[in-house]
Amino acid sequence: MKRTINKVAIIGSGIMGSGIACHFANIGVEVLLLDIVPRELNAKEEKKGLTLENKEVRNRIVNESLNASLKSKPSPIYHQDFASRITTGNLEDDIAKVAEVDWIIEVVVERLDIKQKVFENLEKYRKPGTLITSNTSGIPIKFMNEGRSEDFKKHFCGTHFFNPPRYLRLFEIIPGPDTSKEVLEFLNDYGKKFLGKKSVIAKDTPAFIGNRIGIFSIMSLFHTVKEMDMTIEEIDKLTGPVIGRQKSATFRTVDVVGLDTLVHVANGLYENVPSDEAHDLFKLPDFIGTMMENKWLGSKTGQGFYKKVKKEDGSSEIKSLDLNTMEYRARKSASFATLEMTKTIDNVEDRFKVLVAGKDKAGEFYRKNFSALFAYVSNRIPEISDELFKIDDGMKAGFGWEHGPFQVWDAIGVEKSVEMMKAEGYDPAAWVTEMLETGVKSFYTVKNGNTYYYDIPQKKHVKIPGQDSFIILDNIRESKAVFKNSGVVVEDLGDGILNVEFRSKMNSIGGDVLDGLNKAIDLAEKEYQGLVVCNDGKNFSVGANIGMIFMMAVEQEYDELNMAIKYFQDTMMRMRYSSIPTIAAPHNMALGGGCELSLHADKVVAHAETYIGLVEFGVGVIPGGGGSKEMTVRAADTFQKDDVQLNRLRENFLTIGMAKVSTSAYEAYDTNILQKGKDIVVVNRDNQLAIAKKHALLMAENGYTQPIRRKDIKVLGKQALGAFYVGTDQMSAGKYISEHDKKIANKLAYVMAGGDLSAASYVSEQYLLDLEREAFLSLTGERKTLERIQHMLKKGKPLRN
Amino acid sequence: MKTAYIVKAYRTAIGKAPRGVFRFKRPDELAAETIEYMMEKLPEFDKSRIDDVIVGNAMPEAEQGLNVGRLISLMGLKTKDVAGMTVNRYCASGLETIAIASAKIQSGMADCIIAGGAESMSYIPMGGYKPVPNYELAKEGHEDYYWGMGLTAEAVANQYKVSREDQDEFAYNSHQKAIKAQAENRFQDQIVPITIDETYVDADGKKKTKSYTVTKDEGPRKDTSEAVLNKLRPVFADGGSVTAGNSSQMSDGAAFVMVMSEEMVKELNLEPIARMVSYTAVGVEPRIMGVGPVKAIPKALKQAGIKQDDLALIELNEAFASQSLAVIRELGLNQEVLNVNGGAISMGHPLGCTGAKLSVQIFDEMRKRNLNNKYAMVTMCVGTGQGAAGVYEFLN
Repeated sequence: MKRTINKVAIIGSGIMGSGIACHFANIGVEVLLLDIVPRELNAKEEKKGLTLENKEVRNRIVNESLNASLKSKPSPIYHQDFASRITTGNLEDDIAKVAEVDWIIEVVVERLDIKQKVFENLEKYRKPGTLITSNTSGIPIKFMNEGRSEDFKKHFCGTHFFNPPRYLRLFEIIPGPDTSKEVLEFLNDYGKKFLGKKSVIAKDTPAFIGNRIGIFSIMSLFHTVKEMDMTIEEIDKLTGPVIGRQKSATFRTVDVVGLDTLVHVANGLYENVPSDEAHDLFKLPDFIGTMMENKWLGSKTGQGFYKKVKKEDGSSEIKSLDLNTMEYRARKSASFATLEMTKTIDNVEDRFKVLVAGKDKAGEFYRKNFSALFAYVSNRIPEISDELFKIDDGMKAGFGWEHGPFQVWDAIGVEKSVEMMKAEGYDPAAWVTEMLETGVKSFYTVKNGNTYYYDIPQKKHVKIPGQDSFIILDNIRESKAVFKNSGVVVEDLGDGILNVEFRSKMNSIGGDVLDGLNKAIDLAEKEYQGLVVCNDGKNFSVGANIGMIFMMAVEQEYDELNMAIKYFQDTMMRMRYSSIPTIAAPHNMALGGGCELSLHADKVVAHAETYIGLVEFGVGVIPGGGGSKEMTVRAADTFQKDDVQLNRLRENFLTIGMAKVSTSAYEAYDTNILQKGKDIVVVNRDNQLAIAKKHALLMAENGYTQPIRRKDIKVLGKQALGAFYVGTDQMSAGKYISEHDKKIANKLAYVMAGGDLSAASYVSEQYLLDLEREAFLSLTGERKTLERIQHMLKKGKPLRN
Repeated sequence: MKTAYIVKAYRTAIGKAPRGVFRFKRPDELAAETIEYMMEKLPEFDKSRIDDVIVGNAMPEAEQGLNVGRLISLMGLKTKDVAGMTVNRYCASGLETIAIASAKIQSGMADCIIAGGAESMSYIPMGGYKPVPNYELAKEGHEDYYWGMGLTAEAVANQYKVSREDQDEFAYNSHQKAIKAQAENRFQDQIVPITIDETYVDADGKKKTKSYTVTKDEGPRKDTSEAVLNKLRPVFADGGSVTAGNSSQMSDGAAFVMVMSEEMVKELNLEPIARMVSYTAVGVEPRIMGVGPVKAIPKALKQAGIKQDDLALIELNEAFASQSLAVIRELGLNQEVLNVNGGAISMGHPLGCTGAKLSVQIFDEMRKRNLNNKYAMVTMCVGTGQGAAGVYEFLN
């Protein structure tokens, strides 16, 4: 039987419940969100003369939680309009409505007795066959369905989302004793395909996979910080981006999550894993006890390991907790010679070897830390998982690590690491020794574009299941490259489709990337059917290489600069005007030039988490790679007879003028960066490239013909120009923008108006591109523009001057 | 020169825009029903003797377009015989029409004219649907000719050093005066009850109709305080002082008077309410349009041959607290007689209707205070750098 999910009920509207509700709304599912009825009126309700019978009062808890969630940042929802997909209610008046849903998810307080009561109540209304799962992070699944019917038990299991549900990709599925195989398989598939998650079927062991290893890792650092007499700044420096983990690293992350939440899970582990070899580690160190007593729980109480204090001059300063004195003091910068050595190593994977070889305290730290981690994870097999890749998946998707423990182990070398572990007093699990003895020297290997993992029972490398629908660039970069330069690798994806993968620093677009794009289009036009532009960098692209532009501008090499901009424009235009279909597949940041490339592709297949926009004002210029032109064209294409056309042009003018960046791909439809009916959104990032390829193929097979160059773009001339000049003057008089912003905006206005034409006229794209280039060049001659570019290059932030 | 008297004066309640009671009532209907009500008060009067209907309106387009004055004449008088026109001097439109009517009658071109104004800011956005500034003007640095009014209020606050605190205090007082006046039922004699038949789709998606009558101004807020006003953020400039709280409210409303020659008044045996003694409009710098009355008031007083102290009551339109205070301070206006029942900050500002609405209000208040044969003034600042002021002599 095919199962479909049209409607879900979420029981419990706390931070997790509301977050999960929003994520279902994100993917278009209708949500019923329920919570308890308040026991008494609040002051506001009393003043309004309401009683406990009023709907407004009865739904207060759920409504307040959901609204707080919708307002929180980063937003739990792709687009505020999607919130209308969520209906709220309460557990007394609306519980019968669970009969209409396809899946019930329980997200109430983590107490077994309460959960059991909720399930007992839900069973009265639940239709047989309906999925019913618990989002517990620690309570054993087997205890929760006691006393329930057979049908209930068959359709019951744990589904553990990580906070925040929209952003963290781990989705643990924990079977209960009676969960049917069909249900597990369905959830595993649904998690990936629909929720965009990394589904991991875990075992019903304490804290499952992600939290078991994650809490271990944090707790072990809590002890290390004291044992090695280090500061929290030092630990955060060593456990942050340098090893591919989040910027908030360890202690700052705990502040954000809340110390009480962490303590709750750690205590649970301490109680429930008495035979764990690291049992003592889950015992809270004294300083945590003090912090709990003092309510130093992190962001939620205003202070934790770090504290933001207001200085006398009104500016704020972040202080950090000295674990010896338990007092807040000025932050100390942490520096280590070993870290200096990794500065030139861009690829995080290549750093681990260097880090554990360090001769200083940092080296000592890494040897100790990784040894403990490797020993712990190897010993968790088969306790928490039979397959090692699930532990890596859990840490990557649930805790934002770029590399899972076994991958780091591979990067250092399995044998080498075992030596290191022994020196540090740790032993790997027996299966690791056995693996090495049989001559298998790594946990993973890549064959024919697929990743294989070491399967312990079979004692050999086995293909990781479920990757057939994916295309993994890391795995094909070497074997399928058809062209390569310093900026790109062009890979053959099969079926006549090429991919251009940016490989430049921060995936910025410079001459080499443009060469690569042209080369790829040349190749595709001659020998292939279509082209995709997709990469696995942290960001799709942060934009044009402004360092190069800065150099030419400072040297006043305006002819060269003109040529460079023209080359950029021409390349973007080739994305549109080639004989093959082109697809841009952006993810994360797609700014400036990265956005312009997407604007010119025949189709955009964007990941849902795409932050896309034309941000050129931040560096003192207008979009010069066809972006200003394209937004003019897009406005003109929406003009209707007798419509106020100027207002439509104004919206696109503001998209550029306010440097709007979408906070999701869906928001980019509002700014006309993405277009409905043409561009699409993919929720599962792993699947994005494969989907993009399919679209390229489909377009090719449908008989793609090169579009004819356009000369029919309606521009409004003076009519628009006058309105824009008045608008920018008001913004500047109101001090919302600087004089220089006004100058840039007026240059953009001139381009988007098509110049000072007496009346509305029809022009070609090249006419607009020439205006755009001219305006761009004139701005690079401005001192304040150069200051902005320089500031961005130095500090990575825009300057307002 | 003949003498022109005002013999009837009514207004609708003022609704909030764009989400107030009159969002379900078109401006032409508001105006027509006000005129109908006026006609009911003159049951014997032969409507064909009216020479013209002159309607002030600041954004004459869409529902207010197509020479809405003529349509209002047809709708309100229910006869084809009376002409109609639309007059636009922005916020002075409703006062301007009374001046035009008075002047026509004084010169013998007409004997009876209905004049006033109507505006729905719920239906038509400020600035209209398609503002298209002249590029050549903008290029020459005259962008400020087209500035939004809020920005000009900021410019006035800066140039005349009107503090945020003073603006908020002024706004608070406006509300207090209006609430007091409402509690004393000071407006009920002048307000035309407007019945609204609202057809809407209810929560279950079913079409429904409900009917209600509006007789009360929607603007004044009991719950406001200086503390609340102080918390509002400036909306027209970063770091500015003009907020939604110390600016006039956007509003919907209509107000009309009947102006008649002395001969016809005598013939019909009517009681004149007042006569317009003088009226003037002046130009000032567009970027500080709010100070328009500083120039208009002395000129109108001079035309009338009276002194500032002779004014028994003044209605100074509260476009913004900043410009109101600048005008008051520059001219030393007597605050005891100024905006005694609140102003546009609390009561609302239906642009093209305002001049007529303030006239209707001031006649009623003069009557309630028995200020027979005393002078009253209605004055306002006007967009693109203008000011207007009119002097009335109250008769009965």
